Amino acid sequence: MPDNSIVTKKLTKKFGQFTAVDNLNMDVRGGELFGLLGPNGAGKTTTVRMLCTLIEPTFGTALVAGYDIREQAAEVRRQIGVVSDGVSLYKDLTVEENMKLFSTLYGIPRSKAEERFKELTDMFGFGDKFKRLVSALSTGWQKKTLICAALLHEPTVLFLDEVTSGLDPQSARALQDFTRKLCNEGVTVIWTTHYMAEPEKICDRVGVVFAGRLIQVGTPHELKQSVNELFALEVETPGLSLAQVEKIRSMEDICNVTYKDPVLRVTCTREEGLIEEVTRKLLDSGARIKSINTKEPTLEEAFISLTGGEEEIDRFLELGSQKK
Amino acid sequence: MPASKFLRDALAVTANELRQFSRNRTAIVISLFVLPFFFTVSLGGAQGGAGAHFSPTATVPMAFVDNDLSTASARLWQMLASSGDFSALVQGYREENAIALLGTGKIYAAIVVPQGFEASLHNNQTAKILLYTDDGEPGLGDQISSTLSGDVENFDPNVEVQPVRTAGIAGVQIIQKGVVFSGFSVGLTIVLAVVQIFAAFYEIAGGIAKEREEGTYARMILSPVALGSIMLGKTLYDLILSAVRTFIVLGLAVYAFGARPNTDLGTLLFLSLMLALLTMGFGFLVAALKLGTRAVVIIEFFLILFLFAFSGFIIDKELLRGISRTISTLLPWAYGIDALKRTILIGQPLLSLGTDLSALVAGLLLFYAAAYILFNLLRERLAT
Repeated sequence: MPDNSIVTKKLTKKFGQFTAVDNLNMDVRGGELFGLLGPNGAGKTTTVRMLCTLIEPTFGTALVAGYDIREQAAEVRRQIGVVSDGVSLYKDLTVEENMKLFSTLYGIPRSKAEERFKELTDMFGFGDKFKRLVSALSTGWQKKTLICAALLHEPTVLFLDEVTSGLDPQSARALQDFTRKLCNEGVTVIWTTHYMAEPEKICDRVGVVFAGRLIQVGTPHELKQSVNELFALEVETPGLSLAQVEKIRSMEDICNVTYKDPVLRVTCTREEGLIEEVTRKLLDSGARIKSINTKEPTLEEAFISLTGGEEEIDRFLELGSQKK
Repeated sequence: MPASKFLRDALAVTANELRQFSRNRTAIVISLFVLPFFFTVSLGGAQGGAGAHFSPTATVPMAFVDNDLSTASARLWQMLASSGDFSALVQGYREENAIALLGTGKIYAAIVVPQGFEASLHNNQTAKILLYTDDGEPGLGDQISSTLSGDVENFDPNVEVQPVRTAGIAGVQIIQKGVVFSGFSVGLTIVLAVVQIFAAFYEIAGGIAKEREEGTYARMILSPVALGSIMLGKTLYDLILSAVRTFIVLGLAVYAFGARPNTDLGTLLFLSLMLALLTMGFGFLVAALKLGTRAVVIIEFFLILFLFAFSGFIIDKELLRGISRTISTLLPWAYGIDALKRTILIGQPLLSLGTDLSALVAGLLLFYAAAYILFNLLRERLAT
C-alpha cells in the first residue's frame, strides 16, 4: 500500500450552480483513522461518495489505495469498504445469505469466505443472529451487519459515513474501539461525522469541512492549538435564566456560550479582561458564582471558531435547508 | 472481466432475486396467482366460459348465407339461431348483398356457408365457414368470431351428416381474413400478453426502483460486479417467473375455458417469454430514469392502456387505420402479440413469422442497449 492511502487533487463536485465540494486537497496516510468533521451539508458525504466511485467529480481527481477514482474505478471498488446511509443490505435475506452473496460478487473462494464469516461474526458476537433476516435485527445489529459486509473482502480503505447515528452509546463506543483496532491492523479509515466529540476521542487526524471546503487538517490537539486566539472559561453558577445567559452571549468577541446547569462555558477570541467582565455581568444580574476556571477549548469550539462562529454556521445551515 | 465471473455473478444475482421473491408473500400472490388468475378468469368469464350464459353478440344483426343448401348447413343454422348467441341472425341473403350491407349499420357480420360444406364433411375434409365482419366496429369482429367458434365446437352433426368419421365437427373451420379461431384462444392471446407485460414490467422497473430506494442498488454497484451481470441476473430471474406464469395462464385457459391453441407448447412458451423479455428491456429503460416505485406503477398503467389501444390486444394491428396504424407499426409489442395470435389461432409455424420475430428481437435489443447506456450515463443519479 502506498504511504498515502488517499490523495485528493483539487477534488470538486458541483450540482448545477451549487458547489458541494470545492477544490479539496487532502492526504490520508495508510492505517490512519481520519475524521472528516463538519455540519450537515458541509460536503462530507459528497466527498466520500466521490472517493467510493459512486459519483464522479466535476473537476479534479483522487487516488484511493493507489488507484485513480476516475480511471480505475473498478480497482478502487475492490480496495474499499463502505458503510453509509444510502448503502444497505438486503433486508429479506439473512445475515449469512447477504455475506454469501457479496463474497461471491467479490470473488472470494467459498472456503476462505466461510473462514472470514466466522472471523467477522465472532468479532462482533453475532451468534445465532447470523442466521436471522436482516429485517428482524435491531438498528445497531443492522449497522454491524453492514460493517461486516464492508469488511468481508478485507478492504485496505474503509469509509464509515455517520456510522454512529442511530446507535446507542454502548454500541457507538464498541464501534469506535473496533475501528481503532482495524487501523492498528493497517486499514485506513475515513470517519465522517457531525458529532464534534467523536473525532476528538478516536481520530488520528481530523479534516474540518465547511461549505464544501477543507478548512483545516491536523490532530485534534493541533486543531485546538491552531486556534491561537481562542480562550475558554468554565463558571460554576447554578440556576441561570435564559436572559442571564443571553447577557453573556451579547458580550463582544464571544464565540460560543453553552449552559448546562450549573456549568456555564464561554469561549472568546480575547483573554484580556474576560474573567472580570463575565464575573461582573453575572454578579450584576444576580447570579451566584461558585467557581471560575480557564479551560482548553474543545474541538467543537475550535470548529466553531474555524468556521466563523455560530452565526456563520446557522446561516450555512439555513441556506442548506432552503436548498432542500 | 472473465466470462466465467460475469456469468457466476449473474447467477448469484438470479439466486438472490429468487430467494427474496420466495420470502415475499405479497409478491408471490400478486405475480403468480392474482395476475394470471384475475385476467384469465375475468376474460374467460366475460367470453361466456364461466358462470351464467351471457352473450354480447346475441342482439347484433347478422346475415346467414347458405350457399350449400344442405342438411348439414340447415342444422348449422338451427344450432346457431337457437344458441342464444345469435338471436338477430337473419337467413335468406345472397352473399354479395350481405357483404354490401356490411358497413351500412344494418348488419355487422355475414356468416357464409360455402358450397361443398356438407360434401367436405362427408369426405372427412375440413369444412369452412366464411365470416365477414364490419371493420368499423372495433373488437366486434373478434368477439363474433370467438363466440361463433365456441358454438361450432359444440355443433354435433354426426346424427345428420353421415358418414363424418370424426366425433363432433372438429373439421369445421371459421375463416375470418385468413384466421382460424376456436373457443377461448383469442382470450388466451390477450391474457398471456397482458399478464406477461404487466408482471415483467413491474418486476424489473419496480424491483430496481425499490432497490434504489432501500440502498441495496448502491451496495450492489459498489461491489466489483458488472452492470451486464446485474441485468442478466435479473432477466434470468424474471424469465423463470414468466415461464411459470405462462403455464398457469395456459392451464387455466385450456382446462377451465376450453382454449385450443393451434400451436405446440414450445412455440407458445417461446413467444410468451419473448414478450416478457421485451417488456423487461423496457422495464430496465424506465428504471434507468431514476423513478420511484409509485411512478413505475403509474407508467405501467399508461403502458397497458397504450398497448391495449395500439398493439392489437383488441383490434388486430392490420385493422388499425391512420395514426393508430403508424403507432402500432412502431411498437414492438404489436409484433409480439401478432405472432402470438398467428401461432395460437391459426397455427402458423414460428419460422414463418420472420417479420414479427425480427421486430420483436430488434425492439428487445434496442431497449436493453438503451437501458445499458442510460444506466452507465446516469450511474451517479441512480446511486444517490
